[in-house]
Amino acid sequence: MQVEQVDFVSVLTQDIARAKQFYGDTLGLPIETEGESDLEFTLGQVTLDVFNPASIGQEFEPSPAGIAIRVPDVAASRAELEAKGVQFDGDIVDTGVCHFAFFKDPDGNQLMLHRRYAPREH
Amino acid sequence: MSESQATSLAGVGVERVDYIRIPVKDIEEAKHFYGELLGLSLDPNSPHDDWVEFQAGNVTLAVMTPHTHEYEFSPLPPGAIALRVRDVAEAKAKLEAEGLQVNEMWDSGQCRGAGVKDPSGNPILLHRRYAPYPDGTMP
Repeated sequence: MQVEQVDFVSVLTQDIARAKQFYGDTLGLPIETEGESDLEFTLGQVTLDVFNPASIGQEFEPSPAGIAIRVPDVAASRAELEAKGVQFDGDIVDTGVCHFAFFKDPDGNQLMLHRRYAPREH
Repeated sequence: MSESQATSLAGVGVERVDYIRIPVKDIEEAKHFYGELLGLSLDPNSPHDDWVEFQAGNVTLAVMTPHTHEYEFSPLPPGAIALRVRDVAEAKAKLEAEGLQVNEMWDSGQCRGAGVKDPSGNPILLHRRYAPYPDGTMP
């Protein structure tokens, strides 16, 4: 079987208005579609679906996926987010090939600012 | 630069998704699932034995073991990753022939989907939109 691409990635929320403010205003992602319990954002090359599972009677669970969001400069973007009240988990890590910094959305979904600075080996 | 890119960069400079972590308990059985059964290509330059990267078209899936990265395993929540396949029924049948349990296929009126779990219990959605997008283009 052939997988063509990732159509969307999802995180769950318990408060769709709060999620709209975070992903739309704080992170600045464009909204693709908007419903009462479901929002779709453009997260670069893929759609980020934010969904309230209570609308279909399912339990909320935070995602440990740690979606690695590429930004031009991790330190600069972190400072901008911190100025907007976002809390980060620990310092910026330099792995020798990239910088990253972990943070969470208001529902506790794990996210990451990420920038690789070393060239790929291939 | 398109309007949507300009809007995106007006925030904190979000450019794209570099990768998504898929936490697993066992790398070898995960490599079989993602590489052999789903047919994703394994990046030969994956950095470590406990962090292997698969290309799923537009997004890199970083299959990794949390217990070797200093945190505890917990699976992704339902619907976390939707993989586009040509035909959901065909993909479901193929995985079932390999002995996997795939949920009943649903049809939303715009797309079809069927859920399957990887060996660590991460939910993967086999997905295909068949309705045109609002601008008339097809997936």
